[in-house]
Amino acid sequence: MNRKLAALIAAAVVLVLLIVPNLGLTGYMVRLLAIIFLWIGKTGCWNMVAGYTGYIDFGAVGYFGIGSYVTALLMAKAQVPFLVSILIGGIVSGLIAIPIGLPTLRLKGAYFGIATLAFAEAMKQIILEFDKTAGVNFFDGPHGITLPMGPGNLFFYYLGLVVMLAVVGITYWIERSKFGYGLRAIREAEHAAELSGVDTLKAKIGAYVLSAFFLGVIGGIEAYWLTYITPHMVFDVLITIQMVVMALLGGIGTLFGPVVGAAFLTIIYEVLHRDFQYTYAIIVGFIVVVVVILMPKGIVGTLNTKLGKHRVKQAQ
Amino acid sequence: MQLFIQSLITGILLGGVYAAYSAGFSLIFGVMGVVNIFHGELVMLGAFVTYWMFTLLKIDPFLTIPFSLVSMFVFGFLVQRYVINRVVEAPPMISYILTFGIHLIIAYSALWVWTADFRTVTTSYSGFNADIGGIIIPYARLATFGLALIVVVGLYILLYKSDVGRAIQATAQDKEVARLMGVKVHRIYAITFGIGAAITGVAGSLIATYFIIYPQMGLPYTIIAFCVVVLGGMGYIPGALWGGLVLGVVQSLTATYLNSGLSGAFSFILLFVMLIVRPAGIVGKGIVE
Repeated sequence: MNRKLAALIAAAVVLVLLIVPNLGLTGYMVRLLAIIFLWIGKTGCWNMVAGYTGYIDFGAVGYFGIGSYVTALLMAKAQVPFLVSILIGGIVSGLIAIPIGLPTLRLKGAYFGIATLAFAEAMKQIILEFDKTAGVNFFDGPHGITLPMGPGNLFFYYLGLVVMLAVVGITYWIERSKFGYGLRAIREAEHAAELSGVDTLKAKIGAYVLSAFFLGVIGGIEAYWLTYITPHMVFDVLITIQMVVMALLGGIGTLFGPVVGAAFLTIIYEVLHRDFQYTYAIIVGFIVVVVVILMPKGIVGTLNTKLGKHRVKQAQ
Repeated sequence: MQLFIQSLITGILLGGVYAAYSAGFSLIFGVMGVVNIFHGELVMLGAFVTYWMFTLLKIDPFLTIPFSLVSMFVFGFLVQRYVINRVVEAPPMISYILTFGIHLIIAYSALWVWTADFRTVTTSYSGFNADIGGIIIPYARLATFGLALIVVVGLYILLYKSDVGRAIQATAQDKEVARLMGVKVHRIYAITFGIGAAITGVAGSLIATYFIIYPQMGLPYTIIAFCVVVLGGMGYIPGALWGGLVLGVVQSLTATYLNSGLSGAFSFILLFVMLIVRPAGIVGKGIVE
């Protein structure tokens, strides 16, 4: 597939997604697509760090939650407009990612995963207990915050589409740019990357902050859509886990992996969750086990390898 | 002062239980490099073995321990033998994701079969306490603490004094050389996982005697096991004891003097700081990648 054709297909898909809600798509479908876009966004953020640098972040939901809380506090307590609030939510998330990333991104393997998990859980506990401990009324602890009523699903459809395109676009840029080559060099052999002149800490922090910024923005969007948030909801470790599973299923470290994985799992969830509440989780568990054992590169990764082989044969 | 001593003793007793269920996590990580996300489910399954034997057959919870030991050994052995061994040579990330998949299967199957009800094991002697100069020590917790120590010491002896233990250690140190020396590495992995699961199941049985149990209890236990093992040093078995005691005491003191909800936040902050400042654990003998 040459580049022009790929660009054409991408443009066509975007055009269809822009028009489709006006062609008599049911409210349910609009909502489902918006949910899928937001999951692609979150999974794409996780993939930027984990997929390209190889640092498996188990605390990604921390930034999502920070974005949600900043947005909710600004909108509910200071009447700041929504778009400004989510932008500030993203910036605060990104800024917090710097002091968290600086020490943790020096850790290797499982240690990084555990440290980030600890960060996200600590954030949840602090927001839960802050008011009671400090004797103030700020985060409202487990009672949560109610946001002003938002517009309908169509608004979130377009917003989700924009965020998804931004995340996929940045991932595309990462795949092509020098920054992205640096990240992948870190994943393959960090020490060698450093010896060949990659400023590894700067590159890792760059990817981590970028991912935190978008997670914060998405957190803000979802808070506004839900109109009510509690620490248990927006710092739920299952959100991180879902990102991991979606990325894994689609293909970690690929451009379209998160897109395929998030869309596939969200649809399975919609189909199964209504009738079989627990079987969704059980089936996802089996999918994870089977995918890890049979195709650890995920759907897109496995396809890329197969097509790549084909291409080599043709060249010969 | 009395409050302080009471809180300290409560913390130490709690720490013993933490140590018992974290030792298996440390063993599995130390030997295979597998971060076992479904560790908490092993605790849950052990607890449910005790619960069902107590409820249906009226067997004293402490007498159910051999059953949870054996059944969890078999379970752990089979999971490692048929599932985890397939990816054990792959990058560590793959093993976390795989064990996470198993976590989902076990936790939600249990939820489906046993429902989300909270259950307790209440014996004729639950609630009996020793009162030493105003310091209250519940007997069940004391017995649990004693058994937890036996589990950790027993594991230590098994690893350092038996042939299987030596084979496990050899595999942990250098699996290629161990293989050349005639150790069946994959079999040792299965036995190691079995042992880890067995002692965790025993800890689960002990926990069932005084904590509320329910199918989704697993994940918090996994997270605490992470904390304990990082504090003590990943892969260093006696470290689980140090880590457990420190964490138990810190949690108990924060709950007494600050606020019980904050004890969770404190544990995570402690974990976070510890990883950055001293990833090899308090005594500095953990594995650092």
